[in-house]
Amino acid sequence: METEPQAAPLPGTTRSATPSRTAAPGVPRSRRTDWRAIGVFALMTAPILIGIGIFKYVAIGWSFLLSFSKADRSISLGHWVGFANYSQLLGDPDFRKSITQIVLFTLFIVPVTFAASLGLALMVHRIRRGRALFRTTFLIPAAVSYVAGSLVWKMCLFSSLPGGLANTVGGWFGASPTPWLQQVSPPVYWVVIVTLRLWLQVGFFMILLLAGLQGIPKEIYEAAELDGATGWRKLRRITLPLLRNTSVAVLMLLFIAAFQAFDEFYNLFTGGGAATSGAATAVKPPLVYLYDKALGDQNYGLGSAGSFVVTGLIVLVTLLQGRLTGFGKSEE
Amino acid sequence: MSIGTSGFSRRGFLSGSLLFVAGTVAACSSDPKSGGSSSSGGGSKTTTLNVWYHAYGEAGTQQAVMRYAAAFTKANPDIQVKVTWIPGDYSAKLNSSLLTADAPDVFELGDFNTGLVQSGQIAPLDDLYGADKSDFSTIDLDYVSAGGKIYGIKQVDDVIMLYYRKSLLAKAGIAVPQTFDDLANAAKELTTKTVKGLFVGNDGVGNAPDNAIWSNGGDLIKDGKAAFASPEAVEAVTACKRLYDDKSVLLGYTTDWWDASALTQGATAMQWGGLWSMPDMTKALGDDFGVAPWPAFKAGGKPVVRLGGWACLVNAKGKNVEAAKKYARWLWIEQTDLQKDFSESYGFHVPPRKSVAAAADKLQSGPAKETVDLVGKYAFTNPNTWSNAVSSIYGAAAAKAMTGQGDPAALLTAAAEKAQPEIDKQRV
Repeated sequence: METEPQAAPLPGTTRSATPSRTAAPGVPRSRRTDWRAIGVFALMTAPILIGIGIFKYVAIGWSFLLSFSKADRSISLGHWVGFANYSQLLGDPDFRKSITQIVLFTLFIVPVTFAASLGLALMVHRIRRGRALFRTTFLIPAAVSYVAGSLVWKMCLFSSLPGGLANTVGGWFGASPTPWLQQVSPPVYWVVIVTLRLWLQVGFFMILLLAGLQGIPKEIYEAAELDGATGWRKLRRITLPLLRNTSVAVLMLLFIAAFQAFDEFYNLFTGGGAATSGAATAVKPPLVYLYDKALGDQNYGLGSAGSFVVTGLIVLVTLLQGRLTGFGKSEE
Repeated sequence: MSIGTSGFSRRGFLSGSLLFVAGTVAACSSDPKSGGSSSSGGGSKTTTLNVWYHAYGEAGTQQAVMRYAAAFTKANPDIQVKVTWIPGDYSAKLNSSLLTADAPDVFELGDFNTGLVQSGQIAPLDDLYGADKSDFSTIDLDYVSAGGKIYGIKQVDDVIMLYYRKSLLAKAGIAVPQTFDDLANAAKELTTKTVKGLFVGNDGVGNAPDNAIWSNGGDLIKDGKAAFASPEAVEAVTACKRLYDDKSVLLGYTTDWWDASALTQGATAMQWGGLWSMPDMTKALGDDFGVAPWPAFKAGGKPVVRLGGWACLVNAKGKNVEAAKKYARWLWIEQTDLQKDFSESYGFHVPPRKSVAAAADKLQSGPAKETVDLVGKYAFTNPNTWSNAVSSIYGAAAAKAMTGQGDPAALLTAAAEKAQPEIDKQRV
């Protein structure tokens, strides 16, 4: 390794009290340095590691134990019930329905978000003037919280009152006011959910894809152009294949985000702990279901069991996706 | 970087980290309880009571509660009271807090249920009532009782009934509904392009199914069994679907049913609402509103007004149970002036003590008086085994039935089966 000379004193710092210790440059002191580094590393990282350990892993472990115990109105361990919570959960048609719903939702929202992000990224990448402006404009919604976004969508854009934006626009064409979020059939609330999620997410994933696009060497395109390749062909043969690693990562993140859907469903369909929409009973993603069980009904055992089932599903699908797409093997 | 500087910074870093760790450890280990109850010298020991309220919507309520707390400390210098005002989802925040060391010593609860008794969360308060027990109504005492003991003190009785705009009904030539069909017809006829006929809640469901069940002679729970799948109940809930199908109920308003705005701002002609909103109604509408019970389902049924309200409970697992009981008795049994103030100066509530109710002069005339009279005749209250779990199972089934997501009989029967273990679980 040639990085060793880093330890030599830099000019201008010779006011050091113990210059003798730095004498004999070139003598291997790697072991001493290593111990010191390890010590400093431990000191530097200890607070955060201890914090993560206590507040994440101990909590996860506790929750895992809770999932095997009867924990009604209590989070203390002791009443072991084996797999009773898991069997109660999987035996509940409502939970199975919520899993089915989230799978369908994921199958729809992930490709749509991906296509929209990629489309925007390609467009922003192509334009010559004002790229920074567009990039920033599209990214800004990513800084908005789901809660704030939900409230804007619920109260301004898709308010069921005649004065809501969507209903005002509808009114110009003679449509009567639609209760966007409350009406169960036809389920127009999906329009609200999908548009909100797209608005919040597309910008962020566009940035990731844009970074990937900018990493593709121009020379490849120039070479292809010499060979007579045109726009569509360049996209299919060069851009998409070279964007594969970014795309796989983006898809994985999108999948996890879709499966963890909670905020917009919770905030659009309920308020102050009570349902504000008939759709609250029609659509319930697993996390909302579990929130109701744990924090509503106070059945922490059941809630913990459910969170492990959902985590298991996410891990399983992510691993499967990694295997199929060869994620993490970019070196080869 | 020179070693000298590095040595210095290492030492500095070390002591810095140690300070940080020490600080963290000290902060974590300091018991929130011991912070308040410090015995300083010659036996002058102060306790700090942590008291929780949900955020009442009416202006001035929070200040009133703080004033009561200060008055209590004045009378009992050794007990400080820290009032916590909780906006948003009160029961979720309360429930999670009760699991921790920061749990309130005294808290109010709108949906008392015997599950709290079963889990040993709340302390029996029989000894606080003393001779004043007979001044409380039986329906209130029964509501907060389980296994022969009384576990709470009702702070306020909240009445929920039907408000209607007299002018709108008169213009349409509609009489105050006497049966469910009347109500549904009225709601449909009163619906115009900009005004809906009836507002029961933003989800279009609200209390409508439960009211309908009671008004048809049904029950939610009867003798410890889920009764909301009985033939009367199914008939009532099935009928409720009509309100939704007719598109005559207001959906997704900016405020929910517990606020006066939908009626006062002309978004609906009739609204299921609380007595607490009456000052707002009077302010905005003058005398252009009337009150009525939810009508009897059909001839032979019973009209319904709901009796809810908030009860004061003492956390049996807290460290200041005795002081907490003292506070509960002082405010909600002894201080009749403050009870009167709380019941009629902000939103309107009915004081649970009969003597205080009789002295509450703002409830002695006009629509407030009419409402209080309705309570005497038609009051229904949730069973006290109506826990969150039971209520959400029933609520989901009733909402699905009402919004056309399945056959009401099948949904309610399945829900009753699913709710039964949750009811049994709370047996004291």
